[in-house]
Amino acid sequence: MSRIRDRTEDFKDVVRQTALSLGYDESKLAAILASFIIHKPLQRSSFTKAALKTLESIKALEQFMLKHRKDYVDLHRTTEQERDSIEHEVSAFIKACQEQIDILKNGINSEESDSKGWLGIRADNSNVDTIAHKHGVVLILSERLHSVTIQFDQLRAIRFQDAISRAMPRRKLKRNANSNSEDSSKSNAIELRELHELQSDPLRLQQQHLDDETRALQVELSSLLDVVHETETKMVELSALNHLMSTHVLQQSQQIELLYNQAVEATMNVELGNKELTQAIQRNSSSRTFLILFLFVLTFSIIFLDWYS
Amino acid sequence: MALNLRQKHTECIARMLNLNQPVNATGTANEEVYKILIYDKFCQNILSPLIHVKDLRKHGVTLYFLIDKDRKPVHGVPAVYFVQPNQTNIQRVIADASRSLYDSFHLNFSSSIPRPLLEELASGTLNSDSINRISKVHDQYLEFVTLEDSLFSLAQKSSYVQLNDPSAGDREIEEIVERIVTGLFCVLATLAVVPIIRCPRGGPAEMVASALDQRLRDHLLSKNNLFTEGGSFVSSFQRPILCIFDRNFELSVGIQHDFRYRALVHDVLGLRLNRLSVQGEKGGMRSYELDSSDPFWVVNGSLEFPEVAVEIESQLNKYKKDVDEVNKRTGGTDGAEFDGTDLMGNTKHLMNAVNSLPELTERKQVIDKHTNIATVLLGEIKERSLDSYAKKENDMLVRGNIDRNELLGVLRGKGTKMDKLRFAVMYLISSENINQSEVESVEAALREFEVDTSAFQYVKKLKSLNASVATANLASRNNIVDWAEKIYAVTAGVKNLLSSDRQLALTRTVELLMDGKPNPEIDSYLVFDPRAPKSSSGTSHMRGPFKEAIVFMIGGGNYVEYGSLQEFAQCQQPVKHVIYGATEILTGVEFVEQLTLLGHKMGFGSNAAASTR
Repeated sequence: MSRIRDRTEDFKDVVRQTALSLGYDESKLAAILASFIIHKPLQRSSFTKAALKTLESIKALEQFMLKHRKDYVDLHRTTEQERDSIEHEVSAFIKACQEQIDILKNGINSEESDSKGWLGIRADNSNVDTIAHKHGVVLILSERLHSVTIQFDQLRAIRFQDAISRAMPRRKLKRNANSNSEDSSKSNAIELRELHELQSDPLRLQQQHLDDETRALQVELSSLLDVVHETETKMVELSALNHLMSTHVLQQSQQIELLYNQAVEATMNVELGNKELTQAIQRNSSSRTFLILFLFVLTFSIIFLDWYS
Repeated sequence: MALNLRQKHTECIARMLNLNQPVNATGTANEEVYKILIYDKFCQNILSPLIHVKDLRKHGVTLYFLIDKDRKPVHGVPAVYFVQPNQTNIQRVIADASRSLYDSFHLNFSSSIPRPLLEELASGTLNSDSINRISKVHDQYLEFVTLEDSLFSLAQKSSYVQLNDPSAGDREIEEIVERIVTGLFCVLATLAVVPIIRCPRGGPAEMVASALDQRLRDHLLSKNNLFTEGGSFVSSFQRPILCIFDRNFELSVGIQHDFRYRALVHDVLGLRLNRLSVQGEKGGMRSYELDSSDPFWVVNGSLEFPEVAVEIESQLNKYKKDVDEVNKRTGGTDGAEFDGTDLMGNTKHLMNAVNSLPELTERKQVIDKHTNIATVLLGEIKERSLDSYAKKENDMLVRGNIDRNELLGVLRGKGTKMDKLRFAVMYLISSENINQSEVESVEAALREFEVDTSAFQYVKKLKSLNASVATANLASRNNIVDWAEKIYAVTAGVKNLLSSDRQLALTRTVELLMDGKPNPEIDSYLVFDPRAPKSSSGTSHMRGPFKEAIVFMIGGGNYVEYGSLQEFAQCQQPVKHVIYGATEILTGVEFVEQLTLLGHKMGFGSNAAASTR
């Protein structure tokens, strides 16, 4: 990548020359040059501090996800409970970040409404540009959080796919086992019926015993099938909820973007409003003088007429 | 090393937005994450094709303002200024600093700030005692507009008029040459290459080339120069060639009507900085963006218009088919199949459908956008019969003359005044010998339609000057290029009679220059090599085949040349890269307006009585 030219050194030289020519003494010169080297730390408002903290927590969340990503996705490294716990932690984290962003947003809104109460006395910190800037900060934060959520959704989708694909062959196997057992029981029954004539009562007992076993197996297998059905529907529901959550976060970020655009518009509107106000004041004063003059002239004319007639 | 100008430009701007600290992927805990961006009008034009507002937020920019706007103080954030280094901007910066609008100022100038302005800034801020607010001052060398991956413009208006103005003094011409050289230097600094410069003799091209060579030499001698290539005699395989041309080299391309999609959109609808506003179908103006993120535009930009319409149709059909398939798989089927497998299949298809929906909506939007543009274009073409203009102009250039009745018929037919004027000027340029009576009848026809003929007169004068030079001095180099241009145009036309496009003289010349084999046409071209010591003779190995080229047109370029150069580059084996740039990107109408202005200055104005030659 190409390099750029840092002209700050040139600028310092020029500053020194100009200061000398303007007759600054040594101490002032030293102070000025020192300010270049040691930058005064920016005074941060509480808002900015809170925003930076939220950013830190989102970054921490990203790190956490990166660390546990392999564990989460790979089938053999963790058990279901560990995965559930990871999921739980991550969603709790997301909720906490979301709350922080909400607090920041409410802070801006309350500041806006407060400053509106004091018409004449507007504190320096609450002009339109600053409010637009704060909205921008909140918007950036929520976009960041949204991207993290999307990443996490993708991981969850992978997990579900794995789980579902694992469920499918199990069911296939079960069905095969089922049919096999059915077949085997059928063949057993046929065999037993063939041997029926040759066998006596103890064989019939055995046959019944086998039938019972077969039926019991059947019942067990169908109940397992039901359980698997239930799990599937639950997973589908979970994925739908997943999508819902992500769309909610997306909605929020959209709302915040809307607010931000409105704040920028408000800046422009305030300018127009100021212009209109100055015009109105001018017109007001001019109309007042006209009115006074008019009444004055009328009074005098009435007095004059009275005196005349 | 493929020169992708747009990518490098975007990287430089991203770095600037990151307060000139290198952008690393992981991102260290940067204390100053949120910033405010302030720019002036010129730099707004630089930024708008490259970065959208959403991307600004990714770099942490919360607000962005024009420098002239009235701004309120915002505490606790650094402000990044990206402005041109001139007097008014410096005054504004001093005013802002004294009003303590922001806590720290990072000043970035789009080209090198000269010493006197720096002194002014220093004295202004010292006097208002706000010197501690200015943290950094940088020269960005980004004073050009990148429109596409290989297309840039210096956004310097009316340079053709100023350079060819008969009343221009030496000092003014030098100023313009300085500005062009600054712009070219910025482009080279962003690409971080020191090319070998070639240009035809005489004219503004030679002036710009020698000034640029001088500038590069001076810069390479100074410490911490911007070009990191090591070694003084790098093999020519790695250095690109910079070809500088003047608009007078091939005047016809700037004027003619072209029928390719990109050129049409630019000429007829007014594409500016990759943005376009057209009348929507339901009434009301709609604004579209056409750049490299639009897949249809990238693929089909250089096709002729009827083929573009066919492409839109086919894309629309493909989209409809995809939508039908998605619908079939997920919904609307008989829901009687409710056993396990189908339920599983259905949910999987549902998820696929949900994932593919955004992609489908995006495709639909692109198709709608191009349908709208094509419809508006079609209306204009029908109204002004632009297709017949384009075809007839092409025929004229290929054959060299045109039937007189046909010519007058076109002039009396459909089309705006500008179209007729352009056609007449094209006739003048393309005809090999000027038939006086025909020219007079053409002028009469133009005057009949109240078309301002100053541009026509100007080109006539230009042509007569060239012709007289030709007959006077056969050995002069200039005219070999003129002759070669005509010969190549005709031969290329004959060669390409079966194919639809005619290769431009510019493309031919660039091809020869890139090959580097000695050729009578380009032997007269000067060579400048800023890295070689001044006394060394032009070593022949520096003229070897080049793989990359930067072509610069002084006085105005357009999309036709860009398209033709890209085609040439793609057809080569191995694929070469050509970057095309100009002082500004002009439509045919704007260029003819500049010619009209020149005609007025020469005294061919309509109020001057019919001047006899």
